[in-house]
Amino acid sequence: MDTDKSAILPLVLATVLAALSSAAAGWLAGAIGAALAAPFGVLLGYAIGRHWGAFPSRVRLSLFRVADELAQYRAFTRLMRDQGDRITETTDDAAQIIASGLHEIDAKVASLIERIDTEMPGPDGEVFKHMAVSIGDPIVGMFGKLQFQDVTRQQLAFLARLSHVLDEHMVALAQQMGDRRALDRVGQFKQMFDQALNDCVMSSQRDDHHAASGTDFKEAVGPKVELF
Amino acid sequence: MPATIFIVDDSATILMSMEAILTKAGFAVSKAASGEEAMSKLQGGLKPSLIITDIHMGAMNGIELIKKVRVMPGFQFIPILVVTTESQQSKRDEARAAKATGWLVKPVQPDDLVRVVKQILPNG
Repeated sequence: MDTDKSAILPLVLATVLAALSSAAAGWLAGAIGAALAAPFGVLLGYAIGRHWGAFPSRVRLSLFRVADELAQYRAFTRLMRDQGDRITETTDDAAQIIASGLHEIDAKVASLIERIDTEMPGPDGEVFKHMAVSIGDPIVGMFGKLQFQDVTRQQLAFLARLSHVLDEHMVALAQQMGDRRALDRVGQFKQMFDQALNDCVMSSQRDDHHAASGTDFKEAVGPKVELF
Repeated sequence: MPATIFIVDDSATILMSMEAILTKAGFAVSKAASGEEAMSKLQGGLKPSLIITDIHMGAMNGIELIKKVRVMPGFQFIPILVVTTESQQSKRDEARAAKATGWLVKPVQPDDLVRVVKQILPNG
């Protein structure tokens, strides 16, 4: 416990010094003038900088370890993206094979109907023709259903985009742990997330996210078919 | 001669699916898998009666494509339908501002697609 206290004390001291530096510099700016305030702030900053260097090695080691762990999470997000790519590839292949098969069935049914027309005139031909038409009828609907693949692809693309956002943020955090000068360069996670949400997905998914994050917000959506 | 519908989508499945639906409805179909390919075909002389485009594509998205097409000589009034998974109102407004003709949300029922196309191309 004593060791922990000794690790935390320099942090507290540095924070207090930083606040004092800012307040004192401000006070001096008002009382004496900017010409004197600036060098005073620089002087205090220098003193704080020297103090940060005095972190116990145990604390510094912990910070670097956390930074290293954070950087390693990228391996997991990469795996997630690869898995998503594989799913997209597999569903795309399957959907295209089904589409080709449907094309072929459609062409064969059309050719059958043509032959029945030319080679089987009369009531029997009509019966066969009716049967052939009923085989071909559902094909258009099946073509329509194949759009599921594109919807799935875009949902996975959204997941991949999110994992990139996580990657970038973890790298930034890792840098921050190991290098305090990077503090101001950390990206805005929420903004990156919102951008991904805005770019990649459907309103229903954004509504799900708003519900999960406790925001009672439903996006304005129009009808499924709209002519302007 | 049937009207030619130009479909632009980066999904091979969507291209195949829409081609089949529209061909069965009696239209001729031409396809492009990206905004860039679409521009190249249009600049190469393709003059469709209607363009159907997705929004979320690679480098050039559907809205950019519409803007580029609209400034091409002879393409100011060719109807352009957006067919997309996106249903956000602000994106629709963007498409409307870019002078799209209409908006359909995927998955589109084949009947809806054919009905809208016939509504836009009554002589198609």
